[in-house]
Amino acid sequence: MKALSVGPLKLSLPSWRLPAQIGWRDHVIGAALGLAYSLWLVATARTIGFMRDEGVYFRAAVNYVNWWRSVFEHGSEALKQSAIDGPWGDNHEHPALMKTLFGISWWLFHETWHVFSDASTAFRFPAMLTAGMAVWVTYLFGARAYGRFAGLVAGVSLALMPHVFFHAHLACFDVPIMAMWVLCIYVHWRAQERGGLAWAIACGIVFGLTLETKHNAWVLPLVFVPHAFFVHRHAFWRELKAGRLTIPSSLVSMAILGPIVFIALWPYLWNDTVARIEWWFEFHLNHEYYNIEFLGKNYWGPPSPKSYVPVMIAATVSTITVILFVVGGVGRIIENAKRALHWIRGNGDRTKAAVGAAPDAPTAGAAPEAPTAAAAGAPPDVPTGHAALDPETDLLMFLGFASAIGVFFLPKTPIFGGTKHWLTAYPFLAIFAGYGFELVRRAMHRAFADTPLGQNPARRAYLDAGLVASVVLAPLAITAHSNPYGISAYVPLVGGTQGGADLGLNRQFWGYTSQNAAEEYLNANASRGAAVFIHDTTWDAWAHMQEEGRVRHDLRAVFAPHESQYALVEHELHMNEVDYAIWVAYGTDAPVYIVEHDGVPIVSVYKRP
Amino acid sequence: MSGDEQKRSEISSAEPSRSRAAPDTPRLWNARLYKWAFAAVPIVGVLELGALGVQTLQVVPSGDWQAAKAFVAAQSKPEDLVAFAPRWADPVGRQEFGNSLATLEREARADETRFPRAFEVAIRGKHVAALSDWRRASVQQFGGVTVTVWENPAPAHILDDLVSDAIPTRLRVSRVDGNVEADCPFGHAGFQTGGLGSGTPVPDFRFVCPGGFVAVSVLEDASYAPRRCIDARPFGGRNVLRLRFSDVRFGHTLHGHHSLYVEAEHSMRTPVNIAFSVDGAVIGRAVHRDMESWKPFEFDTSDRAGTTGELTVDIQSDTAERRMYCFEADTR
Repeated sequence: MKALSVGPLKLSLPSWRLPAQIGWRDHVIGAALGLAYSLWLVATARTIGFMRDEGVYFRAAVNYVNWWRSVFEHGSEALKQSAIDGPWGDNHEHPALMKTLFGISWWLFHETWHVFSDASTAFRFPAMLTAGMAVWVTYLFGARAYGRFAGLVAGVSLALMPHVFFHAHLACFDVPIMAMWVLCIYVHWRAQERGGLAWAIACGIVFGLTLETKHNAWVLPLVFVPHAFFVHRHAFWRELKAGRLTIPSSLVSMAILGPIVFIALWPYLWNDTVARIEWWFEFHLNHEYYNIEFLGKNYWGPPSPKSYVPVMIAATVSTITVILFVVGGVGRIIENAKRALHWIRGNGDRTKAAVGAAPDAPTAGAAPEAPTAAAAGAPPDVPTGHAALDPETDLLMFLGFASAIGVFFLPKTPIFGGTKHWLTAYPFLAIFAGYGFELVRRAMHRAFADTPLGQNPARRAYLDAGLVASVVLAPLAITAHSNPYGISAYVPLVGGTQGGADLGLNRQFWGYTSQNAAEEYLNANASRGAAVFIHDTTWDAWAHMQEEGRVRHDLRAVFAPHESQYALVEHELHMNEVDYAIWVAYGTDAPVYIVEHDGVPIVSVYKRP
Repeated sequence: MSGDEQKRSEISSAEPSRSRAAPDTPRLWNARLYKWAFAAVPIVGVLELGALGVQTLQVVPSGDWQAAKAFVAAQSKPEDLVAFAPRWADPVGRQEFGNSLATLEREARADETRFPRAFEVAIRGKHVAALSDWRRASVQQFGGVTVTVWENPAPAHILDDLVSDAIPTRLRVSRVDGNVEADCPFGHAGFQTGGLGSGTPVPDFRFVCPGGFVAVSVLEDASYAPRRCIDARPFGGRNVLRLRFSDVRFGHTLHGHHSLYVEAEHSMRTPVNIAFSVDGAVIGRAVHRDMESWKPFEFDTSDRAGTTGELTVDIQSDTAERRMYCFEADTR
């Protein structure tokens, strides 16, 4: 603490010099990163049109929040099944948490307080906040696990993934489940480290909220159970030998509190609970297949090609981030292999202690407030502030990543949806990338150790800043450039957007780019009251875009090319038939305008001759 | 000190003496390489940033397309093919070249065999794969657009194209139920088009049958390519859809293709049979099964070469469900 004297007052201000331990200052850093990200998302919200699904979620959100208001206004009447099933039956294939938050945000920030002039921004705002939260938690997780620089690069790298940035704008569930996924795993990790009832209860509540966000949460027990038993393996075996089965309290909490929170927040499940949960499972286990293009081929059924996930990650995540991920991942594998070798040989010292220590006692790295190597006067190139470079943490990080993408290698999993379904893996990809950065930074410090640059702490800070810039600027530029066509854009490694088109990678889905066609052509050129074939855009989404002045009010949406005077084709391989229908209906195959990204057609606009 | 650090320290302390003795020894270079290997990461970061800048500047301006269009408009003949590459640039090519050069017949062609020359309009060094066996006659560069003129080594001489002949003056359509044959008059019946999954678009002018129709349309085949063809969906059962083309000039072959609409290709139902006959004599039969996509067929008509007659086409499938069938054929 520093004392500041102002006249008779003497204020004690907290020191902003970062101590070795990860603590509240890191929460401030993480929160600031997250807040900046959320504000960036809000600032660019209007650039992205409305997805097919968003129209449905907007409507459901209004229904849900109106029901909650009716609970306060009408009391028990609103709790009758007849009053619940109407509003909550809308879009009951997905849990209610995010839609409820979308609705509350709309009601408060648009309807009541007029913070957002666009209703859509108010609907989308909670998802944008969860994106910020994901950046915050990723920073914190990375910093505690592998050091502050690792956390910083992890948080920023996650934020600067073009597909994350795109989906983070939407009133959908893909980024919220990514945020809840990493939060849930983080809380579980802390619960294993810290123990105690409070952390166990937190695990149960957060797991319930994650279940209530999206069904990806079904996979999380595959992360928690092996990890918790690995952490507590000695106690588990000891108790088992004594004839008792012990289960970590966090798991018990998740098994009990998780479902309670899940059901409590989803009124649709308050009646016919078992049947409706069964239906929910059935719906997602037997979901209809969608079309998606991959390497020039259209897929519309399982299995996904085995190369789909790795190729799409390489094509959509900045290459520098992927390289750091590989460096970090390989670094952790090598370190754990060495540890395992030491342990097998029985001659490990600190390593052996860490691996073989009594699991219920905090390991050297487990207690975050314990003095770290740096605090103890270790060389400056040792990561500071990290809580754990232990195999348990590595296992958890690996499981958090692998379980999120693993399901896409199963024979029954279809390819639909592109990258958005494994966004949950990205915080862990980013954390490994952060650790990779830390290894590179240490190598840089060693290389400069006997130069003037390396010997002066201030100059070393410049080196660090330069290194951070070198791994952040490209992702920043790529992400900024991809907007608003985030799912059409590909990274320079594959040739950018044109390279992605050359390779035959998916151009887009969900019909959101009709807004761009309106902004670039229709609003200025279409005749008054013209009928527009809006292709993949839903009527709900079109109507919202008109309400917010994104699309001219007088343009009438129609769903058959021959009924229209203008027709849109949102380019996707399997949508080519719409192009051909317009050729036949209009008698011309020449569009009058094309919305492009880097020269690649996104939307063709036809005008009836 | 870890083993690695100790090793590096040893290398470091050994460096001066070794550098005096033999400054370029591989070991020393390896040590230096190891020491500075980290620099690969910031270099990749900078390269990625630079690559983004370069790629975003590689968009071909409209002026280049228009210069290429002027060349193609001046040089091409109606019987030539005009095609764009890569495939994703096709909409840009159609927009820039317009309907007069990027005609429906060229865009939704059955194949390339009939074209004596092709004007390939390409960006990014791409090519139309189907022209790879043709002879390259000339290459012209218009900024970012390359126009390559290809010559077909063996162009087919088309005598009659049934798709172009599917007009009331040349075609009579009927539905045959056993011994009963009902005419399908040509007329205005309203468009039938829609969004994804609607199937082959149905033009407003068509031959209208009881429970069916015949019309020239554009099919989306299993590769999602456009195919201009005669939409002739079977009625199902033993009923036959019959098309009679009058005054067809015969050559040495009857050449054609047939297909189902892409989504129907996946429905795995009964095959569609097509039979061509002249004066009651069958000259060829073809069967289309699901997943066979845009399937070619060719029949020898040498014995009728130089003659003119009525060509009858019978189409049948045991079921009508999802049989969104389309064919094209010509005599050559």
